[in-house]
Amino acid sequence: MAKETNKKGKDSYDADSIKILKGLSAVRKRPAMYIGSTSVDGLHHLVYEVVDNSVDESLAGYCTKIDVGIRPDGSITVVDDGRGIPTGPHPGDPKKRTAAEIVLTELHAGGKFENSAYKISGGLHGVGLSVVNALSEWLEVEIRQDGKLFEQRFERGKPTCKLEVTGKARRVGTKITFMPDDKIFETTEFSFETLSQRLRELAFLNSGLRITIADERSDKKQEFIYKGGIVSFVEHINRNKTPLHPKPVYINAEKNGVVAEVALQYNDSYSETIYTFANNINTREGGTHLVGFKSALTRTVNGYASTMKNIKESLSGDDIREGITAVVSVKVPDPQFEGQTKMKLGNSEVKWIVEGIVNEALGQYFEEHPAVARKIVDKAAQANRAREAARKARELTRRKGPLEDLSLPGKLADCAEKDPAKSEIFIVEGDSAGGSAKQGRDRHTQAILPLRGKILNVEKARFDKMLSSEEIRTLISALGTGIGSEDFDIEKARYHKIVLMTDADVDGAHIRTLLLTFFFRQMPGLIEHGFLYIAQPPLYKVKRGRKERYLQNDSELLDMLFELAADDIVFTVKKKPVKGKVLAEHLRRISNFESMLGWFKARKRDPAFLRYLLGNGLTKNTLKDKDALTEFMGKVKKELPAVRFGKIKKDEEHEAHMVDVGRQGHKHITLDMSFLSSPEYRNLAKLHAAVKELGRAPYQFTVKDEQCQAKDSTDLMDQVLAVAKKGLNIQRYKGLGEMNPDQLWETTMNPDKRMLRQVTVADSIGSDEIFTVLMGDQVAPRKEFIVKHALEAQNIDI
Amino acid sequence: MRMNCPICNSVTTWEENPHRPFCSERCRMQDLGNWVTGKYSVEGDEAVSEEAGEDEAEHDE
Repeated sequence: MAKETNKKGKDSYDADSIKILKGLSAVRKRPAMYIGSTSVDGLHHLVYEVVDNSVDESLAGYCTKIDVGIRPDGSITVVDDGRGIPTGPHPGDPKKRTAAEIVLTELHAGGKFENSAYKISGGLHGVGLSVVNALSEWLEVEIRQDGKLFEQRFERGKPTCKLEVTGKARRVGTKITFMPDDKIFETTEFSFETLSQRLRELAFLNSGLRITIADERSDKKQEFIYKGGIVSFVEHINRNKTPLHPKPVYINAEKNGVVAEVALQYNDSYSETIYTFANNINTREGGTHLVGFKSALTRTVNGYASTMKNIKESLSGDDIREGITAVVSVKVPDPQFEGQTKMKLGNSEVKWIVEGIVNEALGQYFEEHPAVARKIVDKAAQANRAREAARKARELTRRKGPLEDLSLPGKLADCAEKDPAKSEIFIVEGDSAGGSAKQGRDRHTQAILPLRGKILNVEKARFDKMLSSEEIRTLISALGTGIGSEDFDIEKARYHKIVLMTDADVDGAHIRTLLLTFFFRQMPGLIEHGFLYIAQPPLYKVKRGRKERYLQNDSELLDMLFELAADDIVFTVKKKPVKGKVLAEHLRRISNFESMLGWFKARKRDPAFLRYLLGNGLTKNTLKDKDALTEFMGKVKKELPAVRFGKIKKDEEHEAHMVDVGRQGHKHITLDMSFLSSPEYRNLAKLHAAVKELGRAPYQFTVKDEQCQAKDSTDLMDQVLAVAKKGLNIQRYKGLGEMNPDQLWETTMNPDKRMLRQVTVADSIGSDEIFTVLMGDQVAPRKEFIVKHALEAQNIDI
Repeated sequence: MRMNCPICNSVTTWEENPHRPFCSERCRMQDLGNWVTGKYSVEGDEAVSEEAGEDEAEHDE
């Protein structure tokens, strides 16, 4: 700590002076008592003390501008355009020192303590400039007043000269320059960013006050002036967020000498940001003003909520403050600060004053702005529901006692193996499939957990797919890893293969999506470690004589059927006979065309007209040329007399023509540029190549040397498939439950024969997207999705 | 990998995010709450089939 350099004999100090010296030496002995600490925080506090004095001048109405400078030597300059510290001799002082000298050398000597020189002031509770002086290696003050420039210098709190007039002055104001004492502070390096932040805050709190900061060490500069005051402050805090209502709510009123100013605005986040100030001091620990504000907010919002029909919840303060950004600033004549760092306002009367002001003003604001009020209430109600959901979730996953923790769910048929690396669990949809799986499994290494996965929606008389809370609990305890950011522990996994086994139909896909989404969201570690798999049960069993084959999906079935057909059938493609493998592939291509045509048929578009269109090469050029289009229409009428055309219209946008085409029992097609360039039609046209290669319909072919004929490609497919299916017994499994235990083992569970698809993080993200669509947040994409999947699930007619 | 939080849609990352795929514990808990309280369901077939009777008997909760 510092050594006191008591220069003897320079001036004779009288008793009063000694008392004063004692006061300031106390500051140097225990600086933390006055400025909090001697760390970097305390160092910056020195600047705030000096600036606060200037702000007090501004509060009193005399100062409009404060300039703070960090000078190259590391000292600080604070200049204001206030009245200047009084320079006259202090009437009560026996030594006739000037008021300025007393303010700078005597503790608790500020104008604030006297009487009404400053009605309201901040500063570090009045210790102010003398503390800064005491803790500075040197300090120089310049006061401009009454056309004169006064100057005085101090070293470690002691004046080295008297306050003297050194020149003339045109302006008024005070300039203080000081060098923090490196014998006191751990560091004397000022941070531009730290100072800027507090100065910005002060500029917000004192609307219209201009504060600048210039760092002469690096040429960094900033200027803060906010006409909007704390409204601008709130907007500044919310600048990167999405506000719920465009303008902050602003309240400003005075009661019993206390001024309360509040600005608040909600944003769509979940965080609560409330800054409170008392006499410009950032009350980081809150205090009575904060308590008053919170209780008024809770009361007023609940009051409004009770008038809204759809809100039944009682909203807690936490709910109501979710997403709020607020600044509460009070000006109190005699502030009392409490708490560890003296950053908590203690005046008890402030609570009810702020509460009263906010109750009244916010209530009125809500009356006048019902749309904003409703948004705030809705947001709080949403927060309430989220909190409730989280509470239930916690209840479910709360760690249980040691006994309960060990108990496994009753539905689980566990395996005998205790080594997780060798153990598998099959999560099976439906009780009947679960039964088959239990009988078919290898009891040694395979566990079975049946889930129902669907629930009767009584209101809508249909089955909805969902996981019940009981099922989720079952899942979590069976897997053993625990759940949650902190609790999840992959080391505790009871199985290293978790296999989702659901039906191969749309319902099964939905349940699988639900489960995948659950694991992805709540136990992503399982997927990252590669523990999650999807079983691949067959969709078909095909029997030919004594031979049996299982097929995964429609595509595999078609491949097989075409291979069989190609044994007996010979085709003429591009005038050459085609059979065997080449034919099978060609048939497969035709079937692709057929399923695309099916897409149009499902939308009731005329397949005969589409075939004609494809076969006769109508191009975009035809639409450009009206005569060519008319000629084309003439040809269609000859070939397909049932087809009706509308009038040819101009397609201005594409500089072409358009015409409606229809036939009884079908929806009309608008034949125009956008139809020809639609992805569906272009895809159809591409796939049509396979049909074109057959030549013109009707198509000739032989089956076991017998001549046959098909009128179009649909007829052709039907005939070919009929040939293929001869002598076959094709069984389509509606669900896993239709398989007997042996079959399930053979096709899906037997580690030597089965196929498992490992789930990756990328898969799961996709799955989560599908899930989000299914959840119906977005109505339109959901329909798309269902239609698409309904088409994919179109059964082949067996 | 940048991604959107499934609950609040804010941008978050997969890597070095203890709450992945969520942005925060709060969103994760809300999601879990949604599972537990049956908020997540996929609409089934309307006009329920013959098995309605038997399944109704099993229906609980």
